[in-house]
Amino acid sequence: MLDLIVIGAGLTGLIAAHTAARAGKQVKIVTKGLGATHWHAGSIDVLGYYPNSATPVQRPLETVRDLTRARPQHPYAILDGTLSDALKNFVALAQELGLPYAGAANDGDNLWLPSPVGAARPTFLAPRAQLAGDLRRPEPMLIVGLRGMRDFYPELIAENLNKQGHRARAAFLPLDLITERHDSNTVHLASALDDPARRMKLAAELKKIFQPGERIGLPAILGLDAHAVALDDLQAQVGAPIFEIPTLPPSVPGVRLTNALRHRLRQLGVRVEINADVIGFHAEKDRVLWIESDASGRPLKHRAEKFLLATGGILGGGINSDHTGKVWEVVFNLPLTTPHDRGEWFRARFFDPAGHPIFRAGVPVNREFQPVDANGGRVYENIWAAGNILAHTDPILERSLEGIAIATGMATARSACNLKP
Amino acid sequence: MKRIETEILVIGGGATGTGIAWDAALRGFRVLLVEKRDLTHGTTGRYHGLLHSGGRYVVKDPHSAAECIAENRILRKTHMHCIEDTGGFFVVTPEDDNEYPDQFYAACARLEIPCEEISVAAALKREPLMNPEARRVFVVPDGAADSFQATHSTAQAARQAGAQILNYHEVVQLLVEGGEGDRRVVGARVRDVARGEDVEIRARMTINAAGAWSGVVAKTAGVRVDVIPGKGTMLAVNHRIINTVLNRCKMPDDGDIIVPIHTVSVLGTTDERVEDPEHLTIEPWEVELLLREGEKLIPGVSRTRFVRAWAGVRPLYQEHYNGASRDATRDLTLLDHKTRDGVAGFLTILGGKWTTFRLMAQVTMDKACEYLGTCKSCVTAQTVVPGVEQGHYWLGHRLREVEEHHLQSELVCECELVTRAMLENAARNNPTLTLDDLRRDVRLGMGPCQGGFCTYRAAGILHQVKSQNEKGKSEEPARWEVAYMQSPAHNQRSAISDQPSAVGGQPSAVSGQQSQFANPNLLLRDFLQERWKGLLPILWGRQLKQERLDELIYLALMNADHLPDENATSPMSEFYARIAFSGQLSANSDQHSAFSEEPISRER
Ligand SMILES: Cc1cc2nc3c(=O)[nH]c(=O)nc-3n(C[C@H](O)[C@H](O)[C@H](O)COP(=O)(O)OP(=O)(O)OC[C@H]3O[C@@H](n4cnc5c(N)ncnc54)[C@H](O)[C@@H]3O)c2cc1C
Repeated sequence: MLDLIVIGAGLTGLIAAHTAARAGKQVKIVTKGLGATHWHAGSIDVLGYYPNSATPVQRPLETVRDLTRARPQHPYAILDGTLSDALKNFVALAQELGLPYAGAANDGDNLWLPSPVGAARPTFLAPRAQLAGDLRRPEPMLIVGLRGMRDFYPELIAENLNKQGHRARAAFLPLDLITERHDSNTVHLASALDDPARRMKLAAELKKIFQPGERIGLPAILGLDAHAVALDDLQAQVGAPIFEIPTLPPSVPGVRLTNALRHRLRQLGVRVEINADVIGFHAEKDRVLWIESDASGRPLKHRAEKFLLATGGILGGGINSDHTGKVWEVVFNLPLTTPHDRGEWFRARFFDPAGHPIFRAGVPVNREFQPVDANGGRVYENIWAAGNILAHTDPILERSLEGIAIATGMATARSACNLKP
Repeated sequence: MKRIETEILVIGGGATGTGIAWDAALRGFRVLLVEKRDLTHGTTGRYHGLLHSGGRYVVKDPHSAAECIAENRILRKTHMHCIEDTGGFFVVTPEDDNEYPDQFYAACARLEIPCEEISVAAALKREPLMNPEARRVFVVPDGAADSFQATHSTAQAARQAGAQILNYHEVVQLLVEGGEGDRRVVGARVRDVARGEDVEIRARMTINAAGAWSGVVAKTAGVRVDVIPGKGTMLAVNHRIINTVLNRCKMPDDGDIIVPIHTVSVLGTTDERVEDPEHLTIEPWEVELLLREGEKLIPGVSRTRFVRAWAGVRPLYQEHYNGASRDATRDLTLLDHKTRDGVAGFLTILGGKWTTFRLMAQVTMDKACEYLGTCKSCVTAQTVVPGVEQGHYWLGHRLREVEEHHLQSELVCECELVTRAMLENAARNNPTLTLDDLRRDVRLGMGPCQGGFCTYRAAGILHQVKSQNEKGKSEEPARWEVAYMQSPAHNQRSAISDQPSAVGGQPSAVSGQQSQFANPNLLLRDFLQERWKGLLPILWGRQLKQERLDELIYLALMNADHLPDENATSPMSEFYARIAFSGQLSANSDQHSAFSEEPISRER
């Protein structure tokens, strides 16, 4: 019998499975897809904006303390102080995986990284390849695009950076330095740069256009499997600090992180069953005995002692809804916090600073991260919930998506498997 | 103030006004058309997409039906490339009256509308998702028509015949001269919206083709025109779940047609009298009604994914009418204000349908000719517009060109197969102030992701073109044909015609001179808001998930809600920001007052 089945293979599910497997537990992941990590920037947002404030958060771990006091049901509040340890664990893990992450030079500050439109993006930890982009650094930036690449616009980025007082200029190199394909996306480009010969061509061109003292921003395509080598190699050949700017999905930094974690899970003997849509479950009294998945039309039962729900809310497909205003949790039909009426789901402005109420729909949990009902009673004794499916937060609006994913992924796995922090 | 002299001034750049400019120019008149926003901003760009065979009106309104079938035959030739020859079914569902189908069939025969009854089994073979419980099915020559493409092609034909077309030019005041008993309209004062200047236009004849806004325009000359504004709502399914137009075979009512057009299928419509034609509110009951009625034609349709809702307003007219807009006549009405109100030099054209726009233009210009003292006859029925050599539109045309020419990595919008060159050329050659104008030109952002990916790319590309223009590095504006703006292959070659560029000095989002609107941050914000407006009424299920991904992209990845120039606005910003779905929250209300975050129990 398995100790734990994790449902969902986004960052939350991968981290949770890793935490349990590393402690020697028998773990399996059952999942429909790979979650949102490869859609996002690959960095770890902890808290970028305090609810209803337009000013970016300077020191997220400190501001999280205010947040947990003001909102005792927020997932960070339930974590009860384990957030910063979780982040330290993550940094150590990433180091082991050969994909090192770090924070701002001034420990505890948010980084300000240039976004693909040239806005300053507050994030707490970033892959090594993004760090030289920190907008607190004084060196002027040269943003280099590849002519014809549809997901990267260096002139736009440079113009917006300049408008915000960061010196930047734009330049283009030909796309065929890297690929001859007619249908290339960012992942193809990254994997083309795993090839040292292509990197050499790119480095030679970069050397011609950069001016001493500049740091160079490129789209995040600097290698896929050989990323670490690719980055060192390019910086050495060009002789300037180089940083990646994440692009539209598929986002290469997100893909790298997912790949690295899955690789580690394989080493730990954790199976990841993809394409397995969980369509039912069986419970006796308040104990779930098995879940049932549908993979290419073949129903399969999965049994375990415990189940960890990491299906990622509306974005991940863990919460569904219909035109009548019904909103439901798709695996266990757990109670949800949600606006009562479809007329209350949205605000008039897409960019409303208060966000859209429907995106706060989530599974309410007790202090152990076990789903509860309206009276606060535990629904099932052997179910835990983590990540983006949790109630009382809008992690995309707060820019807390990965912070919540990592910290609650670790905390729930520990709680479910009775592990010591 | 700048002054322009012309013979004929046309107000309104919908199907009707553009048709009039075309007709007038072909008859040899000097004609100027002004449209307050982009061409087809009005009802023409918000309609159902059906080229009527007349079947819908045969029993209720035979006169309209006769006009429809006649025009249907003509438009299939003059505007062939704007029409997909889908054919249409009239389906008798178990809900429908048993008498009506025979009346319908007989009336079609009387009006010579080709109509053939086929077996339900044969119909199901062609449209497998159609209600299998249907009792009878009739086939008629309905079609699907792209009003954006048709209006642009008509406008191009008009330009080629010498007409001048100015969009983002709004009539603020008709100019009236003379005293009691001898009043005449001599033109209009017009606001150049992009430049913020007024222009005085003098004309011998002023034609009001402002559709549902006609009353507002006429009022500035002291003339009363009571339009019956009948709002209709439509919903788009994210697929071509059908390839034939499906009509219920019964008296026309709400929600009884589904039209396959381009990549989607559209359920419609409702019909409700409204006050304000500009800011239309889609009511939750309309969405529910369309889903409920849609189920009767295609069981299960309410569980498919919807990508958008929109509403348009019918410019119906009936002198001294007080009833429901559904029952108002679909006939066209030409108001001769000289005989009606004692105001010469001024005509208003109302009513009708998209299908009859050419006829409306003809009737209007026949009357105008009487007053202008020339009797040149109408030739539009025998004249094709540019682009017809492409043949009928068919769903795979873009895909074929993209594949044949290996344009995959050129795609800016994967949903609608819009290439970079299509976008660049349209922005250079059509007056463009917002990305929404480009949507109407090339269908940018009209597919399932509703701008999720292409908004960013389009803003980036326009910015790039603008930077090149500013550096003076602009290549010679491509020789480019408006009628081919939807063709990936044509745009890649960027020239097959010697027609002059269409812009005629009008500002655009890529010309540096209009840099206040050419701001990429503004373009991006405006378009995201515009898409949001049409999404609100149908956001649930998978489309809601898609929207959350778009949030991930624009908030978490881009931080686009914290870009510079937060206060910049375009002439359209206010329009996009107006609430389109009633029952939704006001802006900026406190996060917690909105709903209780207490868990609600679910039955298990
Ligand atoms: C819901 C719905 C569905 C429909 N479906 C179909 C269908 O399937 N098939 C069909 O054949 N017909 C259909 N119709 C009817 C058809 O869409 C209209 O009859 C037709 O589009 C009207 O065109 P128009 O040019 O007269 O008006 P509009 O397209 O409204 O044009 C008027 C223009 O005038 C402009 N304007 C207004 N005020 C001013 C000013 N002061 N200065 C300058 N310009 C101004 C407006 O911006 C607008 O662009 C439908 C109508 C509705 C409402």
